[in-house]
Amino acid sequence: MILAADKLDHVSERGIRQLVDVFYVKVRADPELAPIFARAIPGDWQPHLTKMYAFWSSVMLTAGRYKGNPVARHVVIPGVKPELFERWLALFDATCGELFDDATSEAFRIKAERIAESLKLALFYRPGRPWPPEPTP
Amino acid sequence: MTFVVTDNCIKCKYMDCVEVCPVDCFYEGENMLVIHPDECIDCGVCEPECPAEAISADTEPGLENWIKLNAEYASVWPNITIKRKQPADAKTFDGVADKLKQYFLSKPGQGD
Repeated sequence: MILAADKLDHVSERGIRQLVDVFYVKVRADPELAPIFARAIPGDWQPHLTKMYAFWSSVMLTAGRYKGNPVARHVVIPGVKPELFERWLALFDATCGELFDDATSEAFRIKAERIAESLKLALFYRPGRPWPPEPTP
Repeated sequence: MTFVVTDNCIKCKYMDCVEVCPVDCFYEGENMLVIHPDECIDCGVCEPECPAEAISADTEPGLENWIKLNAEYASVWPNITIKRKQPADAKTFDGVADKLKQYFLSKPGQGD
C-alpha cells in the first residue's frame, strides 16, 4: 500500500518501469488474462517487460524508443476476445491508481483506452457487423 | 479510429512525426506524409509534434477526403521512420490554404 503523499505526481521512466512491473504481476495472476498471456509469452518475461517500458515511454514521454507493430502482434494471439480488453484496462487502471496521483493516472488511462479501442477495432471490426461487438459466449 | 495527415503537410513535410511514432505507420509521398489506418494505434503522440499542425483525429468532422487519401496512399508509398531535413521552402508554405488542389503530388517519396 502506497500512501497518497508518496504517489508519483508525474510520468517518468522510473514510474513507467514500476507500472509495467506491477501491472504484469497482476496480469499473470488474473484468471481471465493469465492463460492468454502465458500462451503468447511462454518463456522469459523480461524481454516483454523491457519492450513495454519502451512502449509506454514512447507513448507517454514521446521517447521514440519502441518501434513495432502491435496490431500485427495481437492478431496472431489465439483466444483474444473483445471483453478481455476491458479486463486488461481495469487492471491497468487499478495499477495506475496504486502508483500515481489522480492526474497522472488519468493521463495513462486516456492513452490506454484509446490504444485498446484501436486494437479492438483492428482485431474485431468487420464492415456490416455490429460495433461494439456482442460479448462472446 | 486513427489519426490522419491533412492539407497543411503538403509541401511542409517537417517529418517530426515519424521520429515519435511508436508503430512506424507513416508513409512518404513526394511532398507529404500519410498515416496507415490499419497500423496507427491512436496513441496521439504525433499530433502535438507536427509543427504544421497537420495531424488530426479522424473523428473530427469534415475529414472524409483525408481519411480516404491517407488509406489510399499508405498502401502504395514507402514507409518512413527516420526524419530528414524538411523542404527548404517549408515555412513559406506553412498555412497556405487548400494546398491539395494546387500542390499535391501522388508520386512516392524516397522512404527510409
